[in-house]
Amino acid sequence: MKDRYEKILTVLILLVPLLFALRGGYLQQVTGYLFLFLIQGYVAWFLYFKSGQPFFGYSVTMAVGAYGTIVLTTYVEGFLLPSMLISSVAAGLIGVLIFLATSRARGFYVSMASFLLAILFPKLVEAMQSITGGRSGLYFTGLGGIIGQTSLYLLVVVLTALVVGFFVWLMSTKTGQILTLISENDPLTLAVGINTFKYKALAYAIGGFISGLGGAMYVNYTGFISSVDIEVFTTVYIFFIPLIGGSRVLYGPIVGALFVILVPELLVSVERYMRIFFGLTFILVIVLLPQGLVPSFHQALARIRSARASK
Amino acid sequence: MTILLNGIITGLIMGGILSLPVLGVAVIYGITGVPNFGIGVIGVFGGFITWYLLPSNIGLAIAAGVAACFVIGYLVQRVLLTPISEKGGDSTLFFIITVSLGFVFEGLIRAIFPRPNISITLPRIGLLHFLGFSVEGFKIVALLFALGTLVAIRLSEEHTKGGKSWQATSQNLKLAKLVGINTTRVFGVASGIGCALACVGAIFWGSLYNLDLASGWDLGFMGFIIAVVGGIGNIWGGIISALVIGMVMSFSGYLLGGMWQSVILYAIVILVLIVAPKGILGSERSL
Amino acid sequence: MSTWNDGQADGIILNVSGLTCCYGKMTALKGIDFHVYDHEILGIVGPNGAGKTTLLEAIAGTGPIAEGQIEFLGRQIGRWPVLRRRQLGLALIPQDGYVFPMMSVKKNLEVSLHLTRGQRRQELLEYVYELFPVLWERRRQTASTMSGGQQKMLAVAIGITSDARVLLIDEPSIGLAPKLVTRLFDTFQKIRRDTGKTIVLAEQNIKVLNIADRLFGLEAGHIRFDENTANLSKEVVKDLYLSRGV
Repeated sequence: MKDRYEKILTVLILLVPLLFALRGGYLQQVTGYLFLFLIQGYVAWFLYFKSGQPFFGYSVTMAVGAYGTIVLTTYVEGFLLPSMLISSVAAGLIGVLIFLATSRARGFYVSMASFLLAILFPKLVEAMQSITGGRSGLYFTGLGGIIGQTSLYLLVVVLTALVVGFFVWLMSTKTGQILTLISENDPLTLAVGINTFKYKALAYAIGGFISGLGGAMYVNYTGFISSVDIEVFTTVYIFFIPLIGGSRVLYGPIVGALFVILVPELLVSVERYMRIFFGLTFILVIVLLPQGLVPSFHQALARIRSARASK
Repeated sequence: MTILLNGIITGLIMGGILSLPVLGVAVIYGITGVPNFGIGVIGVFGGFITWYLLPSNIGLAIAAGVAACFVIGYLVQRVLLTPISEKGGDSTLFFIITVSLGFVFEGLIRAIFPRPNISITLPRIGLLHFLGFSVEGFKIVALLFALGTLVAIRLSEEHTKGGKSWQATSQNLKLAKLVGINTTRVFGVASGIGCALACVGAIFWGSLYNLDLASGWDLGFMGFIIAVVGGIGNIWGGIISALVIGMVMSFSGYLLGGMWQSVILYAIVILVLIVAPKGILGSERSL
Repeated sequence: MSTWNDGQADGIILNVSGLTCCYGKMTALKGIDFHVYDHEILGIVGPNGAGKTTLLEAIAGTGPIAEGQIEFLGRQIGRWPVLRRRQLGLALIPQDGYVFPMMSVKKNLEVSLHLTRGQRRQELLEYVYELFPVLWERRRQTASTMSGGQQKMLAVAIGITSDARVLLIDEPSIGLAPKLVTRLFDTFQKIRRDTGKTIVLAEQNIKVLNIADRLFGLEAGHIRFDENTANLSKEVVKDLYLSRGV
């Protein structure tokens, strides 16, 4: 029952912003941006919290999807949708490659390798300035020009809902259940005779693909990308979406995304202190609220309710 | 021929400087088993402190920066990291926490200091001439400093009580506690020394090149990956791999251009992680 | 080293009440109550998984305590860190990881004399080398290169250098040849004779009956019996060792 309630609530929360299209303007724009990062956040939710894989290269897969789309479309006329698809597949491949490369290592080497890639990638982009525009970035018209900004926004919202739905469905399949087993006890799952390697590779492929797709949509929506957008901090942001919001509840990442994306917007005036604030918050949340904001919020709410009832 | 020699020398210098954060990483990880990814930024924070106090008195400035980093490292370990490792934190968790810590200090640099991009002017010691080359004397000092620290650590492990406790803690944590060693304090000191080393490295770096908000990550991560290549926790391995990588970087810099330097570096590391996850000289956690 | 009166059991110096220890969801010890008399050799027997190691580690401070109290020399040490318990006079020789592997014998002992100062250091070292001559012979040898029996001796030596009043020893006979076990147990008796230390010995090996003044039996986290060795009925011993234990 509760599970169903969660799923329905999440879908509703995700689809309500469709109405924002009526309002348009800043609200619509920010929400679209939020949703695009929400996609990445759910990839992180899937890959780390549900499948137990310590991957930190979300900015890389997103970048591959984004840059791939631009580059391919530039070189081949009218190739937009296929190039989005190809870049997403490429992103998925990169995910698998990272997995393969680190499968022999253990512990934080895996996290470190993907994090290193996240540091390396913007530098790579800057080094290949002639193709990628480096720090100055590239402008891109893409879908926005074809179907209009509003329709694009609606597409983004629907796509996000579909992605979430996809992950929910995936976790309920045999594959998803095996991934859950792997996240709880990898060696044991292997000992039982399950080919964990195959399933983990699959998880990385799917995660990479969807992240790449999100990146491709991102560059269509915002019309611009540069190496600054895919800096290391981005991958940390993305990881913190499910971490801060709460990974146990389905709509947790939504809260996390709200936090991670909106707070910087609101605190523009004190931008100087932003990083400190974020860093400290991250640490505090990890240490004190390991379940994330949402479950802790529930607990607090329950306490308030019982306090009120006894008055 | 000139290019070759130039490359080697530049490489040695760069490697020498990098060996300091590498040492810092090796020390911290070797003793505490906690990979602290924020020490680069903490070191740069200390570098900024030094820069700020430079006009007053050079010696004081350097001492202040290094001391500050020691204290920060000590406190971070005692207050944050040791309690978490007692409760059984896994390495990914430490990764996230120490990275976040790095962000906090990056933010502090931004908030406290007037400029986000500085360069530290240290006194010129004088030029060394050999083989027709003039090398700034003090550029070599970084490497000597790293070697000196290594020797100092080794000597104290043999001859001082503190050093022996240090070695015992790294070899068998539980037994060290049982024989009455204050392992929490050992961890704190190790962390403090690691950050202080990173600070010295940052100061050197800042005088050779410059320090900005990204330097902390570059130094810290370079320190880490070089340590990994050499076999993390293995101090000698760390210094050797720092020198080798320093040279590789300077050569690739000449051949391909500055932008590709870091790319080559990270590519090497990823390669090493694939081929030899324990590092080329192997052995974790041995000093 | 002064000698003391053999056979005189004095007051209770260690008192454990209601001790419950858990690892995650599994409860290893369930409300244990027992006490240790000064100068006695107490044997804790029981099969694998009974909770012997958990018990000793809880008392020493290297293992978790969910509930209960531990009173030593009149102080409640349940929340004390290992260091403080050691300073008060409680030392543990663990079941494994009992030496510093990459240090010489000499250095192992130097390190374990960490809390001791001055003249006493020398006295303890001399006593240890006297008890275990082989350690003096091999004092420059790296610990990990010694045989199992020699490493065990080093472990006991480390425990002695603690100058503690109570030695907790966790299954010292594991992996030792029978002759060595007998020698080791004899050494424990000698230590008690020479120094008056209280020894709490967790063991599966039946030979512990030879040296223990009292035994209590632990099984699945509960105490099954608590008897003076002399009073133990043959039935209980048979029951313990033949059907469940060694």
